[in-house]
Amino acid sequence: MRSGDFKENYISDEAIFPSLFARFWVAALLVFLLVFPFIANNHLLYIANMIGFAVIGAVGLNLLTGFTGQISLGHAAFIGVGAYTSAILVTRYGFSFWLSIPLAGMASALAGALIGIPSLRVKGLYLCIATLASQFIFGFIFVHWESMTKGITGIHIPPPAIGALHFDNERKFYWITLFFVLLGVGYARNLIRSKMGRAFMAVRDRDLAAEIMGINLFRYKLSAFAISSFYAGVTGALLVNFLKVVVPEQFSFMVCIEYLAMVIVGGLGSVIGSVFGAVFMTLVPEVLSVLSDIVKEAAPEMASLIVPFKQVVFGFLIVSFLIFEPRGLVEIWNRIKKFFLLWPFSY
Amino acid sequence: MKKTVFCVISVFLFLGIMGVAIAEQLPTICAVHPYTGRFAFAGIEGAAAMQDVVDMTNEAGGINGKKLQYFWADGEYKDDVGIAAFKRLYAQHKPQITFGQSTGMTKALGPEIKDRYKTLYSAYTFAEEAANPKVNPYLFLPGPTYVDQFGVILKYIAKEKPGANLAFFYSDTEFGREPIAAGREMAKKLGLKVVAEEISQVGGVDLATQILDMKAKKVEYCIFQGFVSNPIASVVKQSKDYGMNIKFMGTFWSTEQQLLNELGPLAGEYTGVSAYSFYYQNDLPEIKKIQAWTKNKFPKVQYRSQSYMAVYMSTLLFVESFKRADKMPGGFNKPENLVKAFQSIKNFDVGGLMPPVTINDNSIPVGRVYRGNPSTLKFDPISDWVRLE
Amino acid sequence: MDFSILLQIVVVGIAAGGVYGLIALGFVLIYKATSILNLAMGEFMTLGAFVCFTALTSLHLPFYIAFIITLAFAVLLGVIIEPLILRPMIGEPVISVVMVTIGLGVILKGLTYMIWGPVYRAFPPIFPPKPLLLGPIVVPSGLLWGFLFAIATMAVFIMIFKFSRTGVAMRAAAFDQQAALSMGVSVRKVFALSWSFGAIAAVISGVVIGNMSGLNIYMGDIGLAVLSVIILGGLDSIGGAILGGFIVGILQNLTGFYIDPLVGGGAKDIAPYVILLLIIMIRPYGLFGKVTIERV
Repeated sequence: MRSGDFKENYISDEAIFPSLFARFWVAALLVFLLVFPFIANNHLLYIANMIGFAVIGAVGLNLLTGFTGQISLGHAAFIGVGAYTSAILVTRYGFSFWLSIPLAGMASALAGALIGIPSLRVKGLYLCIATLASQFIFGFIFVHWESMTKGITGIHIPPPAIGALHFDNERKFYWITLFFVLLGVGYARNLIRSKMGRAFMAVRDRDLAAEIMGINLFRYKLSAFAISSFYAGVTGALLVNFLKVVVPEQFSFMVCIEYLAMVIVGGLGSVIGSVFGAVFMTLVPEVLSVLSDIVKEAAPEMASLIVPFKQVVFGFLIVSFLIFEPRGLVEIWNRIKKFFLLWPFSY
Repeated sequence: MKKTVFCVISVFLFLGIMGVAIAEQLPTICAVHPYTGRFAFAGIEGAAAMQDVVDMTNEAGGINGKKLQYFWADGEYKDDVGIAAFKRLYAQHKPQITFGQSTGMTKALGPEIKDRYKTLYSAYTFAEEAANPKVNPYLFLPGPTYVDQFGVILKYIAKEKPGANLAFFYSDTEFGREPIAAGREMAKKLGLKVVAEEISQVGGVDLATQILDMKAKKVEYCIFQGFVSNPIASVVKQSKDYGMNIKFMGTFWSTEQQLLNELGPLAGEYTGVSAYSFYYQNDLPEIKKIQAWTKNKFPKVQYRSQSYMAVYMSTLLFVESFKRADKMPGGFNKPENLVKAFQSIKNFDVGGLMPPVTINDNSIPVGRVYRGNPSTLKFDPISDWVRLE
Repeated sequence: MDFSILLQIVVVGIAAGGVYGLIALGFVLIYKATSILNLAMGEFMTLGAFVCFTALTSLHLPFYIAFIITLAFAVLLGVIIEPLILRPMIGEPVISVVMVTIGLGVILKGLTYMIWGPVYRAFPPIFPPKPLLLGPIVVPSGLLWGFLFAIATMAVFIMIFKFSRTGVAMRAAAFDQQAALSMGVSVRKVFALSWSFGAIAAVISGVVIGNMSGLNIYMGDIGLAVLSVIILGGLDSIGGAILGGFIVGILQNLTGFYIDPLVGGGAKDIAPYVILLLIIMIRPYGLFGKVTIERV
């Protein structure tokens, strides 16, 4: 009978799946994810793909904000950089989709490192405002650098292909998304238990002490920005190849807020928290849309109130989680896990 | 936890869709209206218009006896929300005809509508791209393209004051920029000089620099594109403050009652193009019909805007296409029939809402110039219906 | 170089800058006392403008009464929000506080939409429409009165801070909370009061801007651009906010006139953010901000 969670050496302590409980549920999840596209319709697959993109982006943002403590209000801009890079490479220079993804990630990483430079001079609020400014400046560039981005008209992208297999509908693209999600989440999970991950957390907790201990702030802060932006770039590239169109409005300040909401609601400083946050914050508007359809039939006068109500709910979720559950959904998940872990001695 | 949520939702929606699929495929229209967001003034009116035409049609016996189905969702004037709503509606109802919320959504979905969905489609837009049957025969406009509208305005200016100095004042959006390049070409051909181009956010607060720029370049006519009422009224008022004497003109979406209400005594400064008659022109049979229906079902509603008229027109054309395609072999469930039916519409009487409609290149290239009247605060037509080619 | 146009632009910039300064003042008031950057200022502005609008049009009240009602609303807003939402965030990391104000902004925007709808409305004329003529320079009425209101409000605030007991108490609490507490200043009241003052600054700006260019739910977006003013002036400096407002107003209008045509528009709107980034890189604490030096 288990009476506690005891580890006997560091290796098992560092394991990603520390218990049978975790391993079982992860396996079950994987089975579900593999079976899902065969039972779901196009609309659900669309949502699933969007959730996948959100997960990658949220994990990236969490690496920067949750693990390294650098506040970034500019995530949408990096998603945009990746998106446009991929689109331009595929349409203008004939690159294949597959090659464009890592290149998009690298372009974003570069942009991220650039924007990360102020983080060496300022922190906290000032960094936050600096990233906000860069978000708007990038938005301006997306709209006005027409020779590259075609401005407001946007770029149309053909669907990706391997040989004769075209990934042009939601079901086929799901596999691409799933692949990158597993890759991204797996890498992040490993990153945080490595030396770099620990350095990030040291920077977050007390950066002066970290510097004294020999952690090069310059290097690790910029790496955090770069890696986080790489994730954002991949998200952007996947997103626009899925939607087959890129327009500047897809990368607005509101998108930044959505990602920050995912990370905060999910749980800062936890990879699985980002996953929870991404799923939750993508499903909530969808559920509200379904509800709004019902309300429309029942009480048509209320129809125009549903959308602003969605906004209110969104804001309300952010505020309530921050006040009542600042560690996010992952904290709730952990409590459930602990309960079952030590059952029936879970007190 | 998220798995359970997924499972539950999947099961529900799956059952729902199975249920719908088993039912017989009736004539169905699915629309995404910009019911909220920046274009909501148009979306709310447009949704009302579509509902009215559907109800009127069903009251008169539907499509040759079959009941016309109509479902809609709010796209919030955001492309991603609109596209998601479109896909959701399509998955649930499999419509033969669809309607979109913006120029942006039209451009994004265009290729998929051609290759995958194959529905007859129109939207809250007058962009060129939606009136190009060679590229995409499924898309159409219920009126003239923005470029056509610019043509009407420029020809009017060239007649009134040849060689005049023009300014294009447009918004920093797809909607604003769409006809500008073509507009420059046309102006050159007509001998008019585009001396200034002013750009503003929709809802720009401080427009002094744009107005002063027009003053410095001695602009005589200023053409707006991509705005509804804000900031047109501010620009008109402030230019008077700065002692400028410019004539202001605009395209379809701004030639609206709302703008005249804001201009008040300055209403006479604005001249615009519209493709439809106005709600107060009740000597026309279709307008009388709309007025009667509105007063009957919605007694509190005082006025129906031009956005209402545009979507009303689209829906009339939808209904007519359904009726004609129904008589063809294969009926309206064959996409090619709907396209053929639509393109066969010639000299179709719409009771004065527009002159008898003939589809040309999947659009209706007619327009009329109206000027605001400061005493009645209504638009007076100052030209006849112009046919553009 | 047409000097009269240049002068005109500068004058317009000063007038606009006055309004920016007022909004910046709102930010600074809240930050100085509570160390919170309220990113929901734009939504406060919008809400205030709509409240005034409703008082004027639906209740048909004369302007000065509508104005007083709007101010009362602002005080109420500050007094309600501070204990409900900001008090629980004391001690939380900066990112949480920033996100709470953003979340608050989203809620307020949604509520404003639900109550008043998306339709753009014109503010009923409350100021005499004649522009001011200084020789060849024209100052349109909306800008002129906006500027005057902004200056008047700023003057009132400065006098409150210098001469009244409450003002001095607030300055004390901002300077050193512990010392103020030991002197009998109720820091809780000061927090709530500073939020109310910030809200007052916001709603007055909202009324002024609403009058200039009409009301709709998006007018609050200008709040974020004002961040450049407070960074330039220093996050906790009142004088800096005012001066910064003028500087940014002038720079923005100059950019708009001379650079917009070169880049196809939009430069005017991005100018504040570029200024912001430059200042953070060169001199993050702005002109008059308190410098907290951390050298490793």
